[in-house]
Amino acid sequence: MINLSLTLLFLPLLSAAVTLFFLRNNGRVASLLSVFTAGGILALSLILIYNTEDVPLAWDMTWFKMGGWELKFGFLLDAPARLLLFVVAFVGFLIHVFSLGYMADDSARSRYFGGLSIFMFSMLGITLADNLIMIFVFWELVGFSSYLLIAHYFTTDEAAQASKKAFIVNRVGDFGFLIGIVLTYWIFGTVNLSELADLADFDPKLTSTLLCLALACGFIGKSAQFPLHVWLPDAMAGPTPVSALIHAATMVAAGVYLLLRIDFLFTEQALTFIAFLGAVMGLYAGFCALVQRDIKKILAYSTLSQLGYMAAAFGLGMPGIALFHLMTHAFFKALMFLGSGSVIHACHHEQDIFNYGGLRKKMPVTALTFLIGVLAISGVNFLSGYFSKDAILLGAYNFNMPVFILLYLGALLTSIYMFRLYFITFEGSPRSHHAEEAHENNRLMTGPLVILAVLSVLGGYHTLYPGSLLQYCLPDIDMVALLPHHMWMIVLGTSAWIFGLIFARSFYGKVEQTDPLSDRLPVFYQLCRSKLFFDEIYQFYVSKIQDPLARFIEVMELLFVSGLMVRGSAGISALFALLAKSCYVGKIHSYSFWFIVGTLGFLAYAVGLLAL
Amino acid sequence: MELITPQHFLILASLLFAIGFLGVLIRRNVLLMLMSLELMLNGVNIALVAFSRSGTNLDGSIFVFFIMTVAAAEVAVGLALLVALFKKRDSVFSEDMRLLRN
Repeated sequence: MINLSLTLLFLPLLSAAVTLFFLRNNGRVASLLSVFTAGGILALSLILIYNTEDVPLAWDMTWFKMGGWELKFGFLLDAPARLLLFVVAFVGFLIHVFSLGYMADDSARSRYFGGLSIFMFSMLGITLADNLIMIFVFWELVGFSSYLLIAHYFTTDEAAQASKKAFIVNRVGDFGFLIGIVLTYWIFGTVNLSELADLADFDPKLTSTLLCLALACGFIGKSAQFPLHVWLPDAMAGPTPVSALIHAATMVAAGVYLLLRIDFLFTEQALTFIAFLGAVMGLYAGFCALVQRDIKKILAYSTLSQLGYMAAAFGLGMPGIALFHLMTHAFFKALMFLGSGSVIHACHHEQDIFNYGGLRKKMPVTALTFLIGVLAISGVNFLSGYFSKDAILLGAYNFNMPVFILLYLGALLTSIYMFRLYFITFEGSPRSHHAEEAHENNRLMTGPLVILAVLSVLGGYHTLYPGSLLQYCLPDIDMVALLPHHMWMIVLGTSAWIFGLIFARSFYGKVEQTDPLSDRLPVFYQLCRSKLFFDEIYQFYVSKIQDPLARFIEVMELLFVSGLMVRGSAGISALFALLAKSCYVGKIHSYSFWFIVGTLGFLAYAVGLLAL
Repeated sequence: MELITPQHFLILASLLFAIGFLGVLIRRNVLLMLMSLELMLNGVNIALVAFSRSGTNLDGSIFVFFIMTVAAAEVAVGLALLVALFKKRDSVFSEDMRLLRN
């Protein structure tokens, strides 16, 4: 089992290394290698998941030692890790296959597929890691691969800027995470997850809200929650399959997974904070998504909103439901991203939904599967999103009314903007030349769509899952099933998506090149477009406060460190060198003279004539 | 009363040393500089013998034997070098030997 999991972890790294050293100019072989690696990961994962059902895999070895302190390299494959492993391997494999079609005519395929392999390696590392430091290492690695892949089209200014932004904003969150890890080690004396769980269980007073919040910084950065959410919409500058894999299904969900891994540390206040954070994000991102024109940005904001739901579920004390929603979200959001990729590919990289229209007739498979994704995320009864999202809403209704109201409004918005996206893109008549000429993509691209669509329909029925894949979620699912007000919730949830459907149909059913909302409610439209000025505030902070401070420090550095200390000491020794150099004249007489003078000097000193 | 005291020996020794040193300083001919160096060594030898005589042990005199042996060896090497140098550069003057700083 251990060898199997080691193989699983290092297989994609090996693939990336082979791509780097031998296949840089051979995109075709590199892409096939990467896809086969993803297939191998999927097979190995399934074997691992099947074989660790009864006994969770826990194994470690010494990575390195520093004095008495040693860092372990270990795996902890328990119930939540099994589910995430499944999601990563399965969705990852489908997206690799989709990429084969999507990137077929890209000139830098080796770089792209090598990046995907590095990402798979890092993501599997986060999934399997059994201690916080290892998680942190792989945490940075996913950040790096995300940077690499966002910047795939690095010749465009947008992608170059977006990759830097994603990397730097993530660093801010990771700094808090690092402080949290150090604090954890200081308080508990260990960073191993199992040991931490035992210690926290033994003495609940050890943990503190401050510690939780520091660790949650990692989640806030990686899952792009308020106030570090600004990087995710920009990250859409990368290739669409990357957005599906990294910025929808797996990496951003790793933040939520981190919370689940350390849920025993969380105090009541910290949980409430996370719940409100998530709920506010759910609503805020909904408003932003409502007015976007770029198909991928709509989906990006929708991802933010759904991550908010997961955070809220975690904060309300239902980590199982959070993980359940993570999984169903991975299915339908990956489906929609790949669907948008299919549309973008067919329309020659046109991304403005107001330039689409009428694509249902041209691309029937994409349209149908996309519709399934829309229905699933809107919470249409008996699809996957219905089960996971309504479980969160029902829990919120029973445990925390303000959070419920926020989440419910978010759900309303979700169905509105999702149906808006669907109607504008796929219904009506084509509004641009590209949309008129669009045609369905090949099977490499539609195949993954169909599989994900099936999962988006059936993914909510927890009894369908083989073995104990959902072991971690089941207690919470059973708990939610026993909560009161079940019927009331079904009525509310159903009315939310029906309202969204009718509203979007009547409002966005017939559109031209402009958004109808900008005509009817210009102030509201502009407010939503501005995204509450977060980018501008950060821009202001960076250019007006941080840059002058940096320049001031630079001047100080020039003056004191490099000026006075470095150049100063160099100058003093150069002065001595100048003195000594003048004695070097090349005449033996002069040397013997100075030699005697020196000897006499020593003599004078020895007899006490010369007091130094 | 003793007419010749250790001070007289020392004065003679330092005079010899100073003359030798002056020779090293002002002579251009390397051969003569080498000879002046020998003079300086002899000055030191006289001082050592004088101390040995006024003191109660013979350490100084023994030391002088060593110095003379070393000086003989040194002169042999020095002269050999000088001959080689003369063959190579056709000169025994110190101002012609400043290859390191022209």
